[in-house]
Amino acid sequence: MTAVLQRAAPPAPRLRRDRRRWVWGLGGLALLGWALAGSGLLSGPVLNPAGTGQVGRFLAAAVRPELGAEFLRVVAGSTLVTVAYAVLGAGLAVLIGALGAIPASRTTWGRRRSGWLLTRGGLALPRGLHEAVWGLLLVNVLGLDPWVGVLAIAVPYGAITAKVFADLLDEVPRGGYRALLAAGAGRGAATLYGLLPPAAGGLLSYSFYRLECAVRSAVVLGLIGAGGLGYQLALSFTSLRWEQVWTTVYALALLCLLADVAGRAVRRRVAAPRPGSRRDPLLTGAVLAVLALAGWAVGYLALSPAALVSARTREQVAYVASAAWPPATDGDLLAAVWSASVETVRMSVLAVAFATAGAVALAGLVARPGGPTGPGRRALGVLTRLALLLLRAVPPPVWALVLLFVLLPGVLPGALALGVYTLGVLGRLVGEAVEEADRRPGDALRASGASPVGAWLYGSVPALAGPVLALALYRWEVVVRDTVFVGLLGAGGIGVLLSAATSSFDWPAVTTVLIAIVLLTVVVDLVGARARTALR
Amino acid sequence: MRLTGIEVRFGGTPALAGVDLAVAAGERVAVVGASGAGKSTLLGVLNGAVPPTAGSVRVLGQDPAALRGRELRRLRARTGTVHQHLELAGQLRVVHNVNAGRLGAWSAARAAWSLVHPQGADDVLAALSRVGLADRAYERTDRLSGGQRQRVALARLLVQRPELVLADEPASALDPALADQALGLLGELATGRGGALLACLHDPALALRHCDRVVGLAAGRVVLDAPAHTLTVAALEGFYGVSR
Repeated sequence: MTAVLQRAAPPAPRLRRDRRRWVWGLGGLALLGWALAGSGLLSGPVLNPAGTGQVGRFLAAAVRPELGAEFLRVVAGSTLVTVAYAVLGAGLAVLIGALGAIPASRTTWGRRRSGWLLTRGGLALPRGLHEAVWGLLLVNVLGLDPWVGVLAIAVPYGAITAKVFADLLDEVPRGGYRALLAAGAGRGAATLYGLLPPAAGGLLSYSFYRLECAVRSAVVLGLIGAGGLGYQLALSFTSLRWEQVWTTVYALALLCLLADVAGRAVRRRVAAPRPGSRRDPLLTGAVLAVLALAGWAVGYLALSPAALVSARTREQVAYVASAAWPPATDGDLLAAVWSASVETVRMSVLAVAFATAGAVALAGLVARPGGPTGPGRRALGVLTRLALLLLRAVPPPVWALVLLFVLLPGVLPGALALGVYTLGVLGRLVGEAVEEADRRPGDALRASGASPVGAWLYGSVPALAGPVLALALYRWEVVVRDTVFVGLLGAGGIGVLLSAATSSFDWPAVTTVLIAIVLLTVVVDLVGARARTALR
Repeated sequence: MRLTGIEVRFGGTPALAGVDLAVAAGERVAVVGASGAGKSTLLGVLNGAVPPTAGSVRVLGQDPAALRGRELRRLRARTGTVHQHLELAGQLRVVHNVNAGRLGAWSAARAAWSLVHPQGADDVLAALSRVGLADRAYERTDRLSGGQRQRVALARLLVQRPELVLADEPASALDPALADQALGLLGELATGRGGALLACLHDPALALRHCDRVVGLAAGRVVLDAPAHTLTVAALEGFYGVSR
């Protein structure tokens, strides 16, 4: 008995490394090394010396954009077209989302999961394809009709919106809803009174967020020929009229910037409603303005429902559908799809690594400091935030077109273009994370003599590393979709294959490439989700 | 350590209004007073986290306001603080939070490498076993209870080996036996190296058992300064406004 009571001192504990994190960390590093090795950065030339003269002329034109009255009128008209596409696309997407949320929410199905799973699976296909890919497909079916631009936005956005709306409804606390059901209300009425009111803020906020994104999408859709600012940009680019290019770039940057600022103002107001007043005039005004814009846009684009059901359209749909199945499976094509997929992954990994490294390096400047600071530091902070705003105001394909002057085609220009744009997005998000982080552990370490680096490593990094890496992984999923898109414009990757197949009307090959793209995005989403759970 | 005419204002409200205080080597001082009396601010002035609006500070024979860069860091490394909110990084393992006490002596490269391969693990384990936590060395700090985290903060101080020890409610989450042990450790740590202990305490009995001198603050002024043996628990309780 006494032997049991006299316990020996516990053995010294051993460090047990979290194997999952190490595997993910080392795997990530290996992936980055592999992507770098494939970029050509370490082997052979990447610069295009012939392009430097052109770049000089291009950059010189930045200070003297074309300001002739006639061209300004053209740009103004294009801007209106872009806005019209964005408003109608986003509006239709919210409509699709609201209807789609019903079969996509768990609340509807209750314990019967099969219907829910089926809807979710069905939404993955439209979601997996970039809006430019939809645009390319729709052009071939509808011809040069304004519906192309509207539907190219509405289809993928509608699928995403349906999923997010369903999630928002499912996340509402059930108490009120259950009480109404128990009191004898039908499920529809209970949803209207018990689920929608608490979710309304989130739904409205997300709708505005979609509109904000739709402006950017409408710009880039122009680049593949749907009209608007992007189309004007592509025209000026191919005719090497740099002054016009810059005018268009300034216009689209301004438009994206406006959407960004206005969208955030509205969403902030939804998140923190003003006390007292019954109806917020800003929110009411914003909703009414968007509705009025949508009405105007239908007339401005001369959108007619007849085009969707015309005999020609039906014929074309039937032809494409019959030609596109079964998908092509010849060895050459499959090998090309494989190597293009590999290239796409490399591009996306490089882009996200570049953006994450840049965002972390700039985070100290972007975050507004907690204590009092000098005017120099404040000015530097404002300048950095402005620069990031500009980086994300110009869509990635525009960056790619510019970089293709100086860099030889391949993985690098596309990766850099996406990296620069993603840096604009991630820089702001990481800066916000730093602002919100608890400063006290770092301050305490500095007070006991730690160097700035030491205090950063032991005080700030532990709390920030997880959220920042999770943000980077989220962006990776977005970047993979964008990589397909910059490929459509010739920057490399699987998008190049798709544009080659569509322009030669090789429909079986198009199907094969589309399947590969959807598979690629699904795999990346899965890997990203698994890696994020390892971070928790 | 000497404070002369210290005033601290946050915005318009004064937190300390003319504090004069001298602490000699080897002294163990308890700082008592109601919440908001200025105790935490006083410790902040001493460890350099709070710059005084007026008055002069001398810590370990030096004026922190006159020092810059490396010199200041060296002085700060000789001052150890246990904060009221502990200020530990919850996402790190206990061993790293303890090692953070040595950042004043470590190079950046060594600090970074230690996060991958813990440096000086023997010292850390020795410090942790003195506070009874040796078996938790490699757990994540946010998995520990409040009292255990408080002991991690003490272990951090043990590896830092400061001369001046500042402690803000170091035993608030500990049971009476552990609280006695913790204050014993702090007093030993400070006086053993020829330094001093300054501890804000809420428990009068603890203050009288472990300190030689009691300083009372009210509304940012020193209103009591007496050797501990001349005071009783009852007298101090009256000071807190406690009626039992």
